[in-house]
Amino acid sequence: MKFQGVDYYCIDDLLSTEEKMTRKMTRDFMEDVIKPLVVDAFHSEQPVEMRKFAPQMGELGLIGPFIPREYGGPGSSYVAFGLISQEIERVDSSMRSFAAVSAGLVMFPIWQYGSEEQKMKWLPAMARGEKIGCFGLTEPNVGSDVSSLETVAAKKGNKWIINGAKQWISEASIADVAVVWAKTSQGVKGFLVERGTPGFEQKFMSKKGSMRAGDVGELILNDVTVAEDSMLPKSGGLKSPLSCLNMARYGISWGALGAAMDCYETALNYTGERKQFRAPIASFQLVQEKLVTMLIEITKGQLLSYQLGRLMDAGKAKPTQISMAKKNNVGVARMCARTARELLGANGVSLEYSPIRHMANIESVYTYEGTDDIHTLIIGQDITGISAFGGGR
Amino acid sequence: MNMIVCCKQVLDPEAAPSTFKLDAANNRMVQPPEIKPVVNPYDEQAVEAALRIKDKDKAANKITIISLGNNLARDVVKKPLSMGADELILLEDPAFEGGDSFAVASALAAAIKKVGQFDLIFCGRQESEWDDGQVGSGLAELLGIPSVTIAKKAEVMDGGKVKVERIVADGYQVLEVSTPALITVSNELGEARYATLKGIMAASKKQPVVWKPADIGMDAGKVGAAARKSKIVKLFQPVKEGKCDIVSADSPAEAASLLAQKLRENKVI
Repeated sequence: MKFQGVDYYCIDDLLSTEEKMTRKMTRDFMEDVIKPLVVDAFHSEQPVEMRKFAPQMGELGLIGPFIPREYGGPGSSYVAFGLISQEIERVDSSMRSFAAVSAGLVMFPIWQYGSEEQKMKWLPAMARGEKIGCFGLTEPNVGSDVSSLETVAAKKGNKWIINGAKQWISEASIADVAVVWAKTSQGVKGFLVERGTPGFEQKFMSKKGSMRAGDVGELILNDVTVAEDSMLPKSGGLKSPLSCLNMARYGISWGALGAAMDCYETALNYTGERKQFRAPIASFQLVQEKLVTMLIEITKGQLLSYQLGRLMDAGKAKPTQISMAKKNNVGVARMCARTARELLGANGVSLEYSPIRHMANIESVYTYEGTDDIHTLIIGQDITGISAFGGGR
Repeated sequence: MNMIVCCKQVLDPEAAPSTFKLDAANNRMVQPPEIKPVVNPYDEQAVEAALRIKDKDKAANKITIISLGNNLARDVVKKPLSMGADELILLEDPAFEGGDSFAVASALAAAIKKVGQFDLIFCGRQESEWDDGQVGSGLAELLGIPSVTIAKKAEVMDGGKVKVERIVADGYQVLEVSTPALITVSNELGEARYATLKGIMAASKKQPVVWKPADIGMDAGKVGAAARKSKIVKLFQPVKEGKCDIVSADSPAEAASLLAQKLRENKVI
């Protein structure tokens, strides 16, 4: 039977008809088309072929759903974007990474900081899934401390020369274009670096223990020369890449709940069928406590995401609120994955069941787009007015 | 070409049998709260058949969806609009509940007469709750138009006739039918397309037209259960019992002989 949703608090009653239809459409596509592929992709570390599936996802409107129609997107609500993320990550976090990177980290900065020509060149093609992008911010020596970027871009005549390396980049090896963030004499700027540009290498990173069904890799920029109009003209300072992260974190906050729901659903079904001591293990108090804990945390996370989505749609969401939802809901997913794995006993370590795959994937999600600790410090600074990031020590 | 597609909201046929419940005293099915309704899958394929005709010339073809029931979930009944249909008419009233194939076909016929001009009507070959497969043919009869059942393909030909490939036991027949006509569509047509986000957003701007019995010239006391021509005598869930006998013997030949003997005793062979 297809997944019927986790909705203990009748949150569906708060959703519009169109939001429910969007969720169902995404759920049907992901279950029919993508779900049958992810276990083998994860096991073999041969990513799901996004060149093949991105056009299908684009046709359905799953890539950059909030991008306005004038740039080829459907122009949907942020709640709908959240529900799409939830249904995609219910199948696999790496697929939601693709969706969140495309929407929040590539299309969003082009939309917000790009020229009209850049928007018209890339956004409609990306929304259709014909072009794929990646986002280059993290570096081998630079993670949470993005102010210490080592990638630099120097102006030479009417060209920019970029040097540096980017690591842990989703869709790195298949991207048609990378949004590369680099220090310049004008502060941090975003550059559109196209596949095939001399000196630009795109590598797949193997031997990962997480996100094995997706493309993760590195970008190497060795005297990469791009035209002046490759720079995103309205980007400036760290607030530009950080605003992109906010969009991706928002998608993650919903997506993580999708992974949590799948773990809960798997554990609920399994414990109802698995018999030990002549009874379904769901009849044991210790098992019920674990199932109830998962459900309570998922339900609280759903309410958090729902209200955050409405704030986003009203243009009133604060980055710190996004941090709270990302931190909380990824934590919920992490707990649910581990608890479900435990409830499945020995079978829980088999990839035939989803919790161990979600458990491995969520470790990446826990760390990327702002680690759990960083989000704690963001909220801490907001409520106390005191930075605890430790700069300068 | 004006096309009408009849779509029914049903219990999800993929729901686990353990969730299926009957109200045996009243000979009714019970909608389990944990199972969300869906568009009858054969009806989705009927929508797909109409959309394939519309794809050839979007401006010249129009698709109107008609759904009948009570308390219809908007996110379910609007799905055909999000796939590309143009209009949605809901025959929605408590009085429509409990009807049999005749009652449903009668109400649909009255609604289609009110719609007026149509060239083609598509229905799913049957709906997944009762599997009667009678509404399509009954509707054609009530409207006095030809019907072609269990189609896997329908194409509009030059001159306005419709070429239909109809599934039969050992292959398919190719028929031509003049319009207006009714076609019931089978799963051999192929997968129905997904809704799209743009389609969903376009559907959000379309409000369904809701008709009560009086709106289609029918007496509320003579539709639904009151209009039934058939009576369910008994509705029950059959109890399936599995029993396994292991035939053991010293040699495979002896085991085969014993197995054959048991099968004969049980009148299997």
